[in-house]
Amino acid sequence: MDLIPLILYIGAAAAYARYFASPDRRRGRAATAALAAAALAHTFVIGMRTVQVGAAPFAGTAAAVSAFVWLLALAYLYTENTSDERSMGLFIVVLLVLLQLIPVLNTPMVEAPSTVLRSPLFIVHVSAMLFAYASFGLASVIGITYVLLFKEIKKKQLGIFYKRLPSLQVLDRMNMRAVTIGWTFITAGIVIGGAWAMTSAVQTAPDPRLRAMSIVDPKILFAFLCWGVYSFHLLSRRIGWSAKRSAWLSAIGFVIVLLNFIPVGFFLTRSHNF
Amino acid sequence: MRLLLVGLSHRTAPVELREQVDFSRGDIGEAVSTLAARVRSGEGVIVSTCNRVEIYTEADSDEAARDEVAAFLSEYHGISRERLESHLYARSDADVARHLFRVAAGLDSLVVGEPQILGQVKSAYELAADKQTTGGALNRLFHAAFAAAKRVRTETGLAEGAVSVSYAAISLAKKIFGRLEGLSVLILGAGEMAELTATHLKGQNVRSLVVASRTLANAEALAQAVGGAAVPWAKMPEALAGADIVVTATGAAEPVLTRERIAGVMHQRSHRPLFLIDIAVPRDVEASAGDLEEVFLYNIDDLHQIVNENLARRAAELQSAEQIVSEEVEKFGAWLRSRTAVPTVVALRQRFEHIRQAELKRLEPKMAALPPEARARIDEITRLIVEKLLLTPTEQLKASDEQMIQAYAEALGRLFSLQPALADEEKK
Repeated sequence: MDLIPLILYIGAAAAYARYFASPDRRRGRAATAALAAAALAHTFVIGMRTVQVGAAPFAGTAAAVSAFVWLLALAYLYTENTSDERSMGLFIVVLLVLLQLIPVLNTPMVEAPSTVLRSPLFIVHVSAMLFAYASFGLASVIGITYVLLFKEIKKKQLGIFYKRLPSLQVLDRMNMRAVTIGWTFITAGIVIGGAWAMTSAVQTAPDPRLRAMSIVDPKILFAFLCWGVYSFHLLSRRIGWSAKRSAWLSAIGFVIVLLNFIPVGFFLTRSHNF
Repeated sequence: MRLLLVGLSHRTAPVELREQVDFSRGDIGEAVSTLAARVRSGEGVIVSTCNRVEIYTEADSDEAARDEVAAFLSEYHGISRERLESHLYARSDADVARHLFRVAAGLDSLVVGEPQILGQVKSAYELAADKQTTGGALNRLFHAAFAAAKRVRTETGLAEGAVSVSYAAISLAKKIFGRLEGLSVLILGAGEMAELTATHLKGQNVRSLVVASRTLANAEALAQAVGGAAVPWAKMPEALAGADIVVTATGAAEPVLTRERIAGVMHQRSHRPLFLIDIAVPRDVEASAGDLEEVFLYNIDDLHQIVNENLARRAAELQSAEQIVSEEVEKFGAWLRSRTAVPTVVALRQRFEHIRQAELKRLEPKMAALPPEARARIDEITRLIVEKLLLTPTEQLKASDEQMIQAYAEALGRLFSLQPALADEEKK
């Protein structure tokens, strides 16, 4: 099921590459339309999976990655719509394509999730975490483009990034905004996740995964690490960090998000392998 | 009627003459009305910039109209015809279109691809349109020129990249800071180069502009000229800490801004970016200052290199821009040619309509007994038959070239006795 959105994301990546190579309004609109079509198809896939499972389809890393890709596509489309800035689309959509390969190669399970996962708190927790990660994904791409443009100007080799990207100041502002939104959601996600674990009486639960809910579980530890990194990101400017260092930090922060998502989610966690 | 252009530009006339024939913006409305009153067609557009003065009009004969326009220019500006004559050029019909399309696209500009000319041509046309001195052909010509210029702008890189040192510096500043409105600028030095760059930056509505020079009087004079504030040289370090953009153009033999000094202020400014534009020779800023994080240092050679690269890129786009102009001229030319067929088409239609009306009148007694609906139907059917009969010949005629249109017009005139109708049309 995830293959159709993947193919459409590849098409959108090609459209954004064409726009990046030689931008004009028509090509820009075509690229946005291609991505909107891919996101729409992805919405159907997630909707169908919700009906199949009978609950929000977040159980399992593959399904969660698929939902993450979908949210990142929507978040980017929103950003594009509000800023009228398309030059970062290519970088975002390439990231979407790479991540969407995960659910395509690891078909998400469709059996009904255990009863603990049907709690409304769980759905809010996972949605908030995924949305936070999508915002961090956006921030990291913006951060990388900031660094690329910065290097071109600094080295006096004005090339394609100089030509296509908005100013460093605009990129910095977008980066800060994406991190702020992501930080708000990750904070809410962690608090709600904690509340959910408490109400599910983890210590006495028969499910071993619930009993493993603790700060030392890699998945939870990494989530706290992410929170710490992005909290520092928000404070970094006040302690005299430059915009470039913050941009680097948002790029590196997302590496931790991806580590938490993929290797930790697949292999290491004992508490979150639903 | 033919389209006609008479004018002079930086290619044909020296600046002294261009200054004399320049129409100031305030006078151009009155001038275009005076021109329209003089020429037979009553139509005209005056494009007047510092690099060209061009008059677009419609006329019956090239020679007489060219004379009329030259006389207007000479009398309006009080310059002798002899002085003007050798600098004037004239074009007609499709050549007018090619010329105007190239002008609007910036292909005929001193700095190829400069974007201001399109705005100037647009406002010249709008002024004339306001004074109602533009007819069908001139309207179509100018709209086609705007479309051609837009295509050149969007489909080629002809207008991309700054092609002067000042604009290169400003576009770099915009890439670093986004909008320049809220920024503080510090100018070190008070010479000609400093003034030029300061004027350009002031034009970007920067928040504050401070001038520091070793001679306070010079700093004050420049600050007054560009609308900034002057500070004594001793206060320069504080001004440096508050500035986002620093332009250095002093005549000092040694660097006035050392790496150490800049590193010191970077800490005070919480590592906000600092853009140093060093246009002095010898250089005012120690080259190693450019290695500091968040410091962007460009010297005069760096800016010249950007300008040269942009000029080379523009030159590479020339061919595709000329190609677009040729395509648009071809389209406009087809419309112009079809225009010469209009009198014949009108005369032919009048002839057919005349026959239809005459026949309906002749049959009137026989149709008297018919109900009104049936008579209306007959009228409608005969009209449609005439329309259908004329449709293909009209299309064929309009699609022909000028020579063929003339041959067809003669043949049709003779076959359908159109001469009187044609003469009427010509008179109109």
